[in-house]
Amino acid sequence: MTRNPTLIFVLVAAAVVVLAAGPLFLPPFYVRVGQLMLYSAGLGLAWAILGGLAGYVSFGHAAFIGVGAFTAGLVEGQLTGLPPLLLLPVGLLAGAGCCGILAALIAYPILRLRGTFFAIAMLGVSHVCAELTNNIDFFQGSMGLNFPPIAPSGMDPANFFYELYLAAALFILLISWLVRRSRFGAGLLSIREDEDTARMLGVPTERYKRLAFVLSAVLTGVMGVIYAHSLGYITTDSVYRDDTNLSLIVYSLLGGMGTLFGPVIGAFLLVFVTQVILGRLLDFHLFATGLVLVVLVLAAPGGVAGLLKKRKGTAA
Amino acid sequence: MNLIAQTLADGLVLGGIYALAAVGFSLIFGVLHVINLSHGILVLMGAYLALIFSEALHIDPLLCIPPVMAVLFCVGYAYQRFLIQRAVDRASVNSMLLTFGVALMLQNAMIWVFSPDMKSITPSYAFTSLKLGPVNLDAVRLSALAASLILLSCLAALLRFSPLGRVIRATAQQTMAARLCGVNVRHVYALTFAVSAAFAGAAGIVIGIILPFSPMDEGAWTLNAFVVVVLGGVGSPAGALIGGLLLGLVSTLTAQYIGPAFPNVTMFLLLVLLLLVRPNGLLGNAFAPSR
Amino acid sequence: MSLLTVERLSKNFRGLAAISDVSFAIEDGSITSIIGPNGAGKSTMFNLITGYLPLTAGEIRFKDRRITGMATNRIAELGIARAFQIARPFRDLSVFENVRIGALFGKAGPRDVAATTHLAMELASIASLAEQPASSLTVGQLRHLEVARAIATRADLLLADEPCAGLNPTETAAMIDVLRQVRSNGVTVVLVEHDMPSVMEVSDRVLVLDAGRLIADGSPKQVANDPKVIAAYLGTPDAS
Repeated sequence: MTRNPTLIFVLVAAAVVVLAAGPLFLPPFYVRVGQLMLYSAGLGLAWAILGGLAGYVSFGHAAFIGVGAFTAGLVEGQLTGLPPLLLLPVGLLAGAGCCGILAALIAYPILRLRGTFFAIAMLGVSHVCAELTNNIDFFQGSMGLNFPPIAPSGMDPANFFYELYLAAALFILLISWLVRRSRFGAGLLSIREDEDTARMLGVPTERYKRLAFVLSAVLTGVMGVIYAHSLGYITTDSVYRDDTNLSLIVYSLLGGMGTLFGPVIGAFLLVFVTQVILGRLLDFHLFATGLVLVVLVLAAPGGVAGLLKKRKGTAA
Repeated sequence: MNLIAQTLADGLVLGGIYALAAVGFSLIFGVLHVINLSHGILVLMGAYLALIFSEALHIDPLLCIPPVMAVLFCVGYAYQRFLIQRAVDRASVNSMLLTFGVALMLQNAMIWVFSPDMKSITPSYAFTSLKLGPVNLDAVRLSALAASLILLSCLAALLRFSPLGRVIRATAQQTMAARLCGVNVRHVYALTFAVSAAFAGAAGIVIGIILPFSPMDEGAWTLNAFVVVVLGGVGSPAGALIGGLLLGLVSTLTAQYIGPAFPNVTMFLLLVLLLLVRPNGLLGNAFAPSR
Repeated sequence: MSLLTVERLSKNFRGLAAISDVSFAIEDGSITSIIGPNGAGKSTMFNLITGYLPLTAGEIRFKDRRITGMATNRIAELGIARAFQIARPFRDLSVFENVRIGALFGKAGPRDVAATTHLAMELASIASLAEQPASSLTVGQLRHLEVARAIATRADLLLADEPCAGLNPTETAAMIDVLRQVRSNGVTVVLVEHDMPSVMEVSDRVLVLDAGRLIADGSPKQVANDPKVIAAYLGTPDAS
């Protein structure tokens, strides 16, 4: 990654231009696939700030998608008078803010757990949020929430959300990049490698972990709010999804755990495989995802990035 | 008063089943340090096998326990030896993901074979019931509880007194030392997995006679097992029993007095709380060096 | 001036006294060795100074500031760094990145991070290994990395836990050179060490612990001839 920053920058800029122009030449089906890819990449990047950098593998980030989506929906429901294009920023602020507050509240107890226990406790958080949303009438989780259409008139909503996802994913990519090259990012890396030693070197591990957790939650919430708008109508089951909880890990594993572009590559690959290649075989969907996972763990524990590195290593 | 007694009795029956369904998960966690996310699948395999056997042979489902355990023993051995072992030596997240992948595949396969519909096993004495003072216990629940307790005791005895149990405990406590003493660690891991799978299968049968089941339940059973282990402690049947009973009581009491939708919420709050105050469960890790 | 003062320090593990009533002061710019038989409490002493373990009684002062009860990372920020006996590198990171984390979280200003990192690698003579992943280093090189990462924090005091244990004579000589380099760069060094020849060669002063008590304190020569020290290591002939 550090080899040639200019080249990387040019490549990313070119990719952005091509991606942004996508809806101009892509058939509708692929615009939808593209939406899903960008949505997944954004989520994967947000997850990786905690999971990839700090090594706290969360199995329950769908909690923040759900909390973000439902908060935005409930808040926007109160503000029906506002013009549609103002609703989205308000919803984003409320949804992401609520995720941040929730994360800050649970950070202290839950980050004391390490490894598997942290992963499963996060799964617990996601299930608890889902059940509360579903069973407390105020949240309307079982009935469902409607979102007002926000796409500007004259623009195809599918294209609008595609560009929105692209912007959000780029925003999260930018933040991830900034984090990685900062002192904060180096501190997170050292926490992943050896938390006790990091503390011994003066890394404020507790504060950094909490900060990474909250940041990751907020960015996940941003994606959740956009996702809810693009669906137009959400229930508990459509946002708190266990397959999302799992996929977020798989993106990083597939693309390369702890690398900047790993989650993006992983998300693009997995979405492409499940939607385009296996899209017609709905009955096999679970089976195929499971198979991908098994093969991945057995054959390429370092992900695509690991494979490339290994290839380079043997060639040199 | 009657309601409380009845709720407690139901909680105990449910707790016994939770304990049995979790004990294999606990053993694998304690010995191999693997979180087996396909545990629920093994439980359901037991239930479906019992359904097939009891319908084909017209025998009591509880009589299916030995053959089902035998089948799952073999499945468990092969599963560990040929798949999980390859991921064990790497990071713990890898074995977790591997077993999750297998769980997804097998859940999908079960849906093709058995359909996603709820199934249940109905023994001949399904409608007999027993009145103990104010408490109503039907024969099915009573035999389920009895079967759970007997099987848990058998496993405890196996671990405590048999040569296999000794080797398993030795490997769990000091893997390297056991290897130096000539223990084939991979074989022991596979045997541990086999025993765990066999008990998961037995649990599936007991579950099958009192609750309806479908391939969709596998996640719930895996999660329950995890909660039971965290509550009770890793590696021992006694820990599983305590965790199971606690979970059973909490679930029925919450469902009765707070609301039928909230058992999971209470369960997870309890879980997170307990992880914070006693990270090793109420009984601690059975294989941790005692100090 | 004393950089570090330890006053009447005690530590009990469940009633078992690991350190009892130990006092000493470390002079600025010196190399001091703490020696003693196995179980004498040497590593416990380091764990107490760095705040890794809570102490039972006593007080520790660093640069005239009470540090007893402070969090480990706060103590590190004040300028105490530790190099572990069993090296604990960040395995997936390169040597450069390892040392850089020390520099980033030490007292170097943001502009000096790169220079500090390079200086620390220079002093520990691992500059040539900068791009290697830490997981590929030998035991001896890992010890150098520990020292480099520790001094990259621009600590004033380096606690080195048996830096020469398990090293061959060439590696030991290299490590002693590094410790001297570090000191001449203004860092006070305290080491726990078993290897007597290196202790005698490098130290200005030697503290001897036995069963948690300080039984001798003086120049290497004085200590080597102290009958109490010899008794502690070899056992007293007339006892029992």
